[in-house]
Amino acid sequence: MTFDVGRNHWLLFGVSFFGFIGLAFIVGIGPAIWVQDHTRPLPGAVAPTADETAGLHVYVSEGCVYCHTQQVRPLEMDNVWGRPSAPGDYAFVNALDVWRPYAPAVLGSERTGPDLSNVGTRQGSDVWQYLHLYNPRSVVDGSVMPAFPWLFDVKPAAAPGDTVVPVPAAYAPAHGVVVPNARGRVLVAYLLARKQVPMEGYGGAPSTGAAPAATSGAN
Amino acid sequence: MMSEVRSAAVLPRPLVVAKARVEPVADTDTAWVRLVYRYLAWSTAWLVFGTLVGEYLGIKFVRPDLDHLAWLSFGRLRPVHTNTVFWGWSSLAMLGMALYVVPKTSRRSLYSFPLAYLSLALINISVLVGDLLLMNGVTNGAQEYREYIWPVQAVFAVGVILIAYNLIRTIATRDVEEIYISNWYIMGGILWTIALLVIAYIPWYQQNGISETVIQGFYMHMGVGMWFTPIVLGLTYYSLPRLLNKPIYSYSLGVLAFWTQMVFYSMIGAHHFIFAPIPWWLQTVAIIFSVGMVVTLAAGTGNFLLTMRGSGRMIARSYSLPFILAGVLSYFLFSFQGTFEALRPLQALWHFTNYTVAHSHLTMYGFVAFLIWGTVYGLVPRMTGHEPPALGVGIHFWFALIGLLLYSIALMIGGTMQGDNWIAGNPFIHSVTDMLPYWLWRAVGGSLMFVSHLVFAWNVWAMRPRAAAIATAAAGSARS
Repeated sequence: MTFDVGRNHWLLFGVSFFGFIGLAFIVGIGPAIWVQDHTRPLPGAVAPTADETAGLHVYVSEGCVYCHTQQVRPLEMDNVWGRPSAPGDYAFVNALDVWRPYAPAVLGSERTGPDLSNVGTRQGSDVWQYLHLYNPRSVVDGSVMPAFPWLFDVKPAAAPGDTVVPVPAAYAPAHGVVVPNARGRVLVAYLLARKQVPMEGYGGAPSTGAAPAATSGAN
Repeated sequence: MMSEVRSAAVLPRPLVVAKARVEPVADTDTAWVRLVYRYLAWSTAWLVFGTLVGEYLGIKFVRPDLDHLAWLSFGRLRPVHTNTVFWGWSSLAMLGMALYVVPKTSRRSLYSFPLAYLSLALINISVLVGDLLLMNGVTNGAQEYREYIWPVQAVFAVGVILIAYNLIRTIATRDVEEIYISNWYIMGGILWTIALLVIAYIPWYQQNGISETVIQGFYMHMGVGMWFTPIVLGLTYYSLPRLLNKPIYSYSLGVLAFWTQMVFYSMIGAHHFIFAPIPWWLQTVAIIFSVGMVVTLAAGTGNFLLTMRGSGRMIARSYSLPFILAGVLSYFLFSFQGTFEALRPLQALWHFTNYTVAHSHLTMYGFVAFLIWGTVYGLVPRMTGHEPPALGVGIHFWFALIGLLLYSIALMIGGTMQGDNWIAGNPFIHSVTDMLPYWLWRAVGGSLMFVSHLVFAWNVWAMRPRAAAIATAAAGSARS
């Protein structure tokens, strides 16, 4: 039995393996448990409806997160998207189902398209959202977002209760009317519900410093 | 005399310079050679498929209405590209080479061939099923590099665990006293990744958007830096001294780089979420250790470059060593770039922009893929007795290198412009329309890279083991 890691393979592999797990507790598992225990929905936040939750599933499944952040940074350039995001903003982002027992990654890592934290406030028209999803270039010149025609049905005529999307002729199918299907409807419900909950002294006004409003000694 | 001169004058200028040929000694264990080659062949197939997908995605930035099919839409194909080149191409290629290097440096044969084939099958199945599910819209939650749902990634993990068992049993019964430094890195990478996969797929501490983000930052960074980085470095610690026919410059530097890799690299995952609403101290720790990684980088790169010192002509005459030189330089330059990106002022400019995409390709391609290719071209002809065509290797090297540079310089300039646009407060669409020329150059660079992979596939085919040739080569070496 030697304690030279260069000769004792069990020592070398053991130190590497368990050492890494120890470090993972410091910067991964430990902080994750802490923030999970200390994250509450913001005062005034409303739990998502069944439609909005179904819409989150579509949002994740179509890979929207690869181009759209939902993460407003405490930087001046991010003020256009709303107030800086707070941990509580994500308290209602929860596990999807038994095959995906984790919260989905809605914060995002790229901003090829606009941030969506507050898109429901900024662009609250369902017709605009439908047009944009059917073909983004029908409403935004120069957009490179994919079109999502599979979130819509093309019918010969609208049935009672259908929302007909007024697609411009250049983008419309040759015959029939464009109507969002169930996945399209819940996705738009999810997008329209992306409204930041106001936080006193922390939202809206640019460059007021990072100090949040007094929170009655919550620390 | 005169006629000799004249005939030399009319000889056509050769298209490629003469490259040194490897000595005609093939490894005689045909079962072993076939196993390693199967890994290489499958990984090459995944490389061609994965980068075909990447090429198509690159074109979509310029032609977003190229198709309107759900299965081929950007949001579904992007994870197919990243996961295929991660788990299909890079992982299988470097594991295949590890199945050669570990037994070779342990001076014994691999513990179990059937287990190694089982690992190959499990990893292939997980990539195939995972990709099909992603194209069908079934994703784990769009977390980068862990988009495969847990039953699929579990199959992958079992494949890796079986390889770990196989290699540990090989090393445990080695015929040398010292564990060669390559095996530190290779086994380190495999053991860390097994721990990482389990940590990343345990759900209890990932139940809201913020706790999941903490784990995601940890995971996405370790998935690259504790898997690909140590294993390709381990392979290089074997292939570089062997190809140069001299020992590594300093064993101790290699050991220093190993332990600092484990301690420093583990701490820096949160630098992917600078300014996000995760704990500020966690972000600061990540930035500090990102700077600390310079120690690991300098030790590793210095060790390789000092080993190469004085062998410039040998590198120029070889067709495998230029890949290793490019890979080592990329390792230093682009990991250093990562350190810079982690600093808060630069992160404010570059976060969320295409600069990040350039960085990930410079590292996963310029560093990881080039070191894998150097090892493949250096070792496989010595196993099978068949060399790739010199012209093919030359085209592969230059197309891949020039393609990568076009791709990433375009995205680094464009990404900086994206950030400038946002800081200037221009309408958002400007940051999209200004990118068009750079996305076009990215597609051009990407096309060169893809063509180089087709040539690589041809070269891999040319190096295939052939039963008769192995026997002849073995007989030849026995005579000499």
